[in-house]
Amino acid sequence: MLAKNKIKLNNIYALLVVVVLAMPLVANNYVLNTFSDVWFYVIVCLGLNIVVGYAGLLDLGYAAFFAVGAYTTAILTTTFGMNFWLTIPFAMLFAALSGVIIGGPTLRLRSDYLAIVTLGFGEIVRLTARNLDITGGSSGIYGIERPFFFGIEMNGNIHFYYAFLLLAFLAIFVSYRLQYSRLGRAWQYVREDEDAAEAMGINRVRVKLSAYVIGAVFGGVAGSFFAVKMTAISPETFMFTQSILILLGVVIGGMGKIPGVVCGAFILVLFPEIFRFVGDMRLLAFAVIMLIIMLKRPQGLWPSRLG
Amino acid sequence: MSTLDIFLQQLANGLILGSFYSMVALGYTMVYGIIKLLNFAHGDIYMVGGFVGLITLSLLSPFLGAGWAGILVAMIISMILVGLLGVLIQRIAYVPMLSAPRLSILITALAVSMVLYNFVMSMTSGEYKAFPVDLGYDGLEFGNVFITYTQIILVSSTATLMLILHFFISKTMYGKAMRAIAIDQDACRLMGINVKTIIAMTFFVGSALACAAGVMAGVYYGSIHFFMGFLIGLKAFTAAVIGGIGSIPGAVLGGLILGLLESFGTQLPFIGSEWKDVFAFGILIILLLFKPTGLLGKTEIERM
Amino acid sequence: MLRKCFLIMVSLALACVLTAGSSFAAGKVKVGIMIPTTGGTATDGKDMESAIKLAVDEINAAGGLLGKKIVTTTGDDACDPQQAVAAASKLISEGVVAVVGGYCSGATLPTLKLYGEANVPIVIAASNSTALVGANPGIGFMINSTGDAQADTAVTLFKSVGVKSIAIVHMGEAYSEDLASIAKQKWEAAGNKVVAYEVVNKGEQDFSSLVTTIKSKKPDAVFWTAYYAEGALLIKQLRQGGYRGTIAVGDGSNSPKLIEIAGKAAEGVYCFSNPIVDYLPAAKTFAADFKAKYKVAPGPYSTLSYDGMKLLADAVKRAGSFDADAIKKALKATDNYEGIAGPISFTDKLTLARSNFVTLQVKDQKWKLHQ
Repeated sequence: MLAKNKIKLNNIYALLVVVVLAMPLVANNYVLNTFSDVWFYVIVCLGLNIVVGYAGLLDLGYAAFFAVGAYTTAILTTTFGMNFWLTIPFAMLFAALSGVIIGGPTLRLRSDYLAIVTLGFGEIVRLTARNLDITGGSSGIYGIERPFFFGIEMNGNIHFYYAFLLLAFLAIFVSYRLQYSRLGRAWQYVREDEDAAEAMGINRVRVKLSAYVIGAVFGGVAGSFFAVKMTAISPETFMFTQSILILLGVVIGGMGKIPGVVCGAFILVLFPEIFRFVGDMRLLAFAVIMLIIMLKRPQGLWPSRLG
Repeated sequence: MSTLDIFLQQLANGLILGSFYSMVALGYTMVYGIIKLLNFAHGDIYMVGGFVGLITLSLLSPFLGAGWAGILVAMIISMILVGLLGVLIQRIAYVPMLSAPRLSILITALAVSMVLYNFVMSMTSGEYKAFPVDLGYDGLEFGNVFITYTQIILVSSTATLMLILHFFISKTMYGKAMRAIAIDQDACRLMGINVKTIIAMTFFVGSALACAAGVMAGVYYGSIHFFMGFLIGLKAFTAAVIGGIGSIPGAVLGGLILGLLESFGTQLPFIGSEWKDVFAFGILIILLLFKPTGLLGKTEIERM
Repeated sequence: MLRKCFLIMVSLALACVLTAGSSFAAGKVKVGIMIPTTGGTATDGKDMESAIKLAVDEINAAGGLLGKKIVTTTGDDACDPQQAVAAASKLISEGVVAVVGGYCSGATLPTLKLYGEANVPIVIAASNSTALVGANPGIGFMINSTGDAQADTAVTLFKSVGVKSIAIVHMGEAYSEDLASIAKQKWEAAGNKVVAYEVVNKGEQDFSSLVTTIKSKKPDAVFWTAYYAEGALLIKQLRQGGYRGTIAVGDGSNSPKLIEIAGKAAEGVYCFSNPIVDYLPAAKTFAADFKAKYKVAPGPYSTLSYDGMKLLADAVKRAGSFDADAIKKALKATDNYEGIAGPISFTDKLTLARSNFVTLQVKDQKWKLHQ
């Protein structure tokens, strides 16, 4: 029975892969842009999932990591004229550094204090970006050049669709490998029972810090690509609501479950697009659904048996 | 204005602002003290309080006028209504989650906050609403320091509310039960205390206080809007932490300290006003790192 | 459960494809409208949309454009850069020949590159940050005066009422910071002093310590460059705190709500405004038609939006085709087009060639034209 289920599941996954790969053949620009957003949120949600889902640390300032990546790329390409592809390692490095800065000292805190500290950190990053000259102040940075990929300028929605799709696949793959790695099991142990984990010889601080750093790197890379796709970034994009949105994606689908998080990212982007005609009410509907999910299925929509 | 004048004026500004923070911080600290829940929705309760106050005031003003009598009656009615809303939220959203992991209940609180916020946003189409009172700017002038009568009335009413709360908590049976539950819930249950009712009552009192602050803010500042709860919620939480979360005198003290820090913060040399919030969040983070128990909080050893 | 989830996802995707499917019927030409229809600025956005649709109805009633009827499609930018990019992609993929709209400068900014790449001209009706000028790839035509023009108006007013030193307060987002820094630069270039340059946060209510700081520096005037909601609070608290100098606000604060919230404190406050319907003799018929159709009075950016649509139609007629390059050329060559908000010509940078700012003042709880 279980094996049969597995085969069915694999068929469905294979079908899905074909669908998403072939989509640009039939879809128009708007649909491509929407789905690029979907893949983008898949990446950041999986990144946050490592922090919240795997390691059980509530982070309300995840947009900060995404901002660090986006600003790093934006500044390096515009002010220093660097090639986009060369900025990615820097974006990863700075995002990882900010992960260490926020993660290092705060990991002793209780989960609710941690939530507030990360929230404060997210706001500090945004306000700093708003106040500094190098980040372009409140207008942000605009006129970011589109990158070239083997001689092709990435200026169409189709290019970014495939770029984000590829990154999303990569994120899924990395998350999957991490989940079943030694580190992944250590995260789950720490999440379920920290003292027991420590007694078993797990270095609690190092394990949590690595969750922060890896999660931050996901956000940083996504931010880099976000900057060149948008060609303009401003502090408004990295508000508290952005962090909450990403957290919602993780929670709706099911924390710690990769297909669940992917599903969550889909709902996150497609729900508001389809219900655009409801106007302001769509956000209310979204919030109510969110509350119901938390109360009825605190483990998320995705059934745990398939996780 | 001389330096002394500026100092005195900023002192007055800080105390007025601080009394708002204290009122909201009390709700955080009471709920946290009793069920260890960081109620993210508390700032939004303050916001809803402002809107309920506006509605009751506009319904009442044909009979009582928009003077102080009308405001007082409207405030009491809205405090009761919003207090009940607090209980309702607790019943719907928090009671089923009490045994759930802390992460889940935090996210539930976040969801409640989103529901309230988006509800008011869609009802008001995101517009600012003007409060239909204009209390004028007569006041007392000491040299260059100027305090309006409205400000004096507001500060004395917050002080009165806090005194009532103090009496309620230290002298009545309910207050004693509340403090007992904060220490050991199971023991209270064994002693025959109706724990559920007392928890609901805590939510009632906390929400009613936030509502009072919301109505006062509407009256004082003259306008309310759907996201006014976010910043003050965050700052009131900071105030509660400064004072030591769970400690009621701590919340009051923390609110006043934060108010003063903010008003003198704009006067600091080298730091432009654009860094003001970075400064406030920075203080919060440093405080949580080095003295998470706050000024008046008790040290407690707890698992994360 | 899994199958259900899968089904939901596929149907969501399908619905997405279907709703966005472009329909290019013969005898019709599509024009995009980009404005916020959700969020805090939705009121102004919907008002702009109504004005543009009114213009379209009039053009269609008069026989359409080069023999074709105009249909509109709206993209909601929600005053948010990310959603604005989505909205612009949507409009472009629906095959619009041109776009009219643009309210929040921060949201309009990232869309310019997209319109440039797709070669779709956009008549920018309201957004007026100077950042747009630098980011414009030759497709954006700004028919509202920029912050430069507004700052000039401000400097002139301050001089005429004998102000020597000013305090500037902005809100730390693209529009108000842009205006604040230009105003500071121009005021100092004219040999005067800016004694305080402060910022407040969106959503803050208590400005008492800021008021004390401003009072202690004794400026002759305070210039608020951001929106009406916080502006009203600041005005009220300045007066409550005993500040008795001149107060002026930028065009983002041009709203009856400012007076409603600030009450008596608003008396005598100056405002620099783009031309709104009440002060435009040429807009009387427009205002009446608008009121007849939508049962509400036209808002602050309705005349500019209406002009934007009419100007676009005029340019298409002059170009004689729907080709983007021809439309751009015709728009650029616009020479004193008689809009209801005043004549339109463009500079080399594609901004409005004249300043359209007027100065208003609150008298008896109403905005009145200041002479």
